[in-house]
Amino acid sequence: MASMINFGIDLGTSNSLIARFDRGQVEVFKNPNGFKETLPSIVGFRKDSILIGDQARTYEERDSKNVKSRFKRKMGTAETFKIKVLGASKSPVELSSYLLKELKTFVHSGEDVDSAVITIPASFDTVQCNATREAGSMAGFKTVVLLQEPIAASLAYANKEKNVDLRNSRWLVYDLGGGTFDVALVRIVEGELTVLDHEGDNYLGGTDFDALIVEKIVVPELERRGSFADLPSQLKSESGRLNQHWIRLLRAAESAKVELSAKTGAEIDLSGPQGLVDDEGALIDGYLNVSRSEFESLIKDRIEETIDMMKRILLRNSLQPGDLKFVLMVGGSTYIPFVRKRVEEILGIAVNTNIDPTSAIAVGAAYFAGTKEKGTVGAQQKNQQVSPLKIKASYPRASRESEEIVSAKVGGDTSGMHYRIMSADGAYDSGLKKLSARIIEVLPLREGAFNLFTLKVFDAQGTPVLLDVDPIQIAQGIVDVAGQMLPEDISLVTDDLSAKDTKLECLFKKNAVLPAVTKKTVEVARTVSQGSDDEILILVVEGPEDRHLSTNKQIGNLRITGKQVTRDLIKGTEIDLRFQMSESRDLTVHAYLNGTGQEFSQVFVPSQRTVSSRRLASEILLLETNILNEVGDAIRKGNLETAEDLERMLKDVRTLAVEAVALTEDDVTDKKFQLEDQKRRLAQGVFALTASKRLDQAKAAYQEARSEVCDLVKDSGNDRERHLVSEIRAREQIFMSSTSPAKIQAAIIDLQRVRWPILLRTPDFLIGMFKHLVDRRASMNDQVQAKQLVENGKRAVAGEAWDDVRQINERLWDLMPAEEQASEELRVYTGIV
Amino acid sequence: MNNTRPAHTIEVYKWHLRALNNLYDIEQKLAAHGNPGNAKRNVEQIKEIFVESTQLFYEDPTGKPFSETTADLEASITGIGTENLTVVEVIKPIVRLGNQTFSRVVQKGIVIVKSQSEGKD
Repeated sequence: MASMINFGIDLGTSNSLIARFDRGQVEVFKNPNGFKETLPSIVGFRKDSILIGDQARTYEERDSKNVKSRFKRKMGTAETFKIKVLGASKSPVELSSYLLKELKTFVHSGEDVDSAVITIPASFDTVQCNATREAGSMAGFKTVVLLQEPIAASLAYANKEKNVDLRNSRWLVYDLGGGTFDVALVRIVEGELTVLDHEGDNYLGGTDFDALIVEKIVVPELERRGSFADLPSQLKSESGRLNQHWIRLLRAAESAKVELSAKTGAEIDLSGPQGLVDDEGALIDGYLNVSRSEFESLIKDRIEETIDMMKRILLRNSLQPGDLKFVLMVGGSTYIPFVRKRVEEILGIAVNTNIDPTSAIAVGAAYFAGTKEKGTVGAQQKNQQVSPLKIKASYPRASRESEEIVSAKVGGDTSGMHYRIMSADGAYDSGLKKLSARIIEVLPLREGAFNLFTLKVFDAQGTPVLLDVDPIQIAQGIVDVAGQMLPEDISLVTDDLSAKDTKLECLFKKNAVLPAVTKKTVEVARTVSQGSDDEILILVVEGPEDRHLSTNKQIGNLRITGKQVTRDLIKGTEIDLRFQMSESRDLTVHAYLNGTGQEFSQVFVPSQRTVSSRRLASEILLLETNILNEVGDAIRKGNLETAEDLERMLKDVRTLAVEAVALTEDDVTDKKFQLEDQKRRLAQGVFALTASKRLDQAKAAYQEARSEVCDLVKDSGNDRERHLVSEIRAREQIFMSSTSPAKIQAAIIDLQRVRWPILLRTPDFLIGMFKHLVDRRASMNDQVQAKQLVENGKRAVAGEAWDDVRQINERLWDLMPAEEQASEELRVYTGIV
Repeated sequence: MNNTRPAHTIEVYKWHLRALNNLYDIEQKLAAHGNPGNAKRNVEQIKEIFVESTQLFYEDPTGKPFSETTADLEASITGIGTENLTVVEVIKPIVRLGNQTFSRVVQKGIVIVKSQSEGKD
């Protein structure tokens, strides 16, 4: 167990933080809810729970009888705070102990926080110091060491800037936070940091500046733009019509204030997304520009007050500003450039902004804690592994509800203990509640998610009690939907231009839980002209995603033809597709055409699968042709066994063809579905039988491409191209030994990427291409231009001006009709890629 | 200062959150003031891009009930009542990181809540 305290706590008037020293570094812990380092120093009480921090702040203004803040300033006084809902009072010490206990929960490392350095304002007297220490021990700290805030800030600075010599020097620590201001004169006396003098104002800070922006800039502007009777009270009064906007505007002012620290202007959205309406019903719209200079003149008086306090300190201590080494800036509001500038101007010495103003005090406290040994009083009992409580929780593991009741029986002595249930995703926190023999909580569940909650119990000092209880796990909407899993992958068919085929893109994976929604954006592969019969086909199939269109079951298609579009659908236009599958496996497809702004949708119901008899017959015939080709191929290669298997399939396909042709288009029996299933099974068989052939083909194609590209690179390649080829060859063993033709295809495409640029530099290729284009001149779009280009081309070839030939080829290619360009490159099936 | 961060600390870029907050604002304005040129679709696309590339997504808590156990909202109360509160205005949405099955809150929603027991303005 570490013998140093290591934990430092900034127990602030407005905000508190906790940090830890560990091997020379300091980490400031974040609130597990919301990830902020700061915990608002506010404690609230509800009927059966205690709220701390942000949650308490929500109720601060509306429920001041039960929510308490700024109690730090009352530490050490006999004053207590009446809590209406409890019918009792809480002392500032008790309230502070709640904050300290809450800060302990920030420590995610799970270590026992039994000692801490807690910071106090320079102004605290002995009684106040003792009160702080008492709050610490009430929160379960065995050792509490106090440290003055200006000293903590100075320590944070000294540890950051280790090379600065601070001996025999004095400096001011200027601490302007969210709600309070303090300034202290610090020096090193006999090697120890000491606060010599201090001043402060308990009601001066950043939140006052936010209110000033709204009151002095925003409200007058709203009054100019609209007609309001007594706008300030409409905004500020709890029952005022515009009270909601007051809160929103304060937030907007805060953002603007932060922005003005970095920029010279910031905008405030006057109406917000929902709109602000004046008394006559007119909408006030638009933004208000707040300039940095406006903001500065607004806060000037308040900043002058802080400067007067600094001057008084200097006067009392008979010091000139020049006697100070610097002014160390601490607290979030010192980010404001004007604050820094004014202090600098008035005192004529540099302000020091080298430390993070928000966390400096906690960081300094942690550095100090890293040097302080823990006291021996009440040393922890080690290895206490047995839980003093027996907790048995019961709840449903799966639920369709939006909330579930969790109950737990608690055995053992629960006196003085509290429990707390928090969700792992940070959305729920029960707050601290008194522990009794039975816990009953209603926990909110997130839809379609796995909900995880942890139950923690704390003793009277806020120390976690060891529990033998598992986290609460409830699956919402998931587990009890057995049978609603997808039995097969569902894929979208798109064109694979390079392979002159189609490919499958998975939409929903096998075993996905229904209902499910997915989106995909595809592109139009070939222009669909308005009014034409061109079409794009959104085709959805069911079956393994690594198979092929022909082997998988078509579950629906949506055709969009040129006759339906309001203008040409240009190649490359994006189509947003949204697929939705219900629990009963109805698939809805929505297609939004970005080019025309049109939307199409269709519901495919599996029970109403659309199989066209005519289409089925033609697909069977196509399958027959394919098998015939495969048989011939297998015989040629001597694969007689494969040929035999294929011939058996051929026989089945022919039987199928006869039956399919006999079907009428309006056949009402389910015959065509049976035939479609049989066809698909046969196609799967062919796919499996010919898998090795496709692999062999791919390998051969690779060998061919490689030998061609290697020769090219050898003759005309540059260093980069040589490097690319050797890189592909280095991977050869991996993709050649795989069973996936696609992987080999990918390598071929890589080789081709090297091949093209070289070819385009090669005279023979350029001449060949030029001749090819000249032969097709007759079909080109602009004959006059084509003629001119051909003439120029001939001259360029004769003069061996290869760059010119290349350009002329490109321009001639552009003159080719689109269909011919396409026919060279691709065969479009679905029309989407 | 903290170069030894604990392994489970979640790091989210501030600019991601800022972009999402602005996107949410755009979405709200489109909903309130019309949707010229079907711009909502572009908002959806950007949301998709965020999910795909960063696993971040936001949630609009408008209308959601608020109580002291709600930990994903930072609320300010408007009106007089403090019981039966629901979210009436969202200043920043809830941002979550993860997927449908499990995600966690990385930005609390900043909202204005109002008691439903009171009459509406």
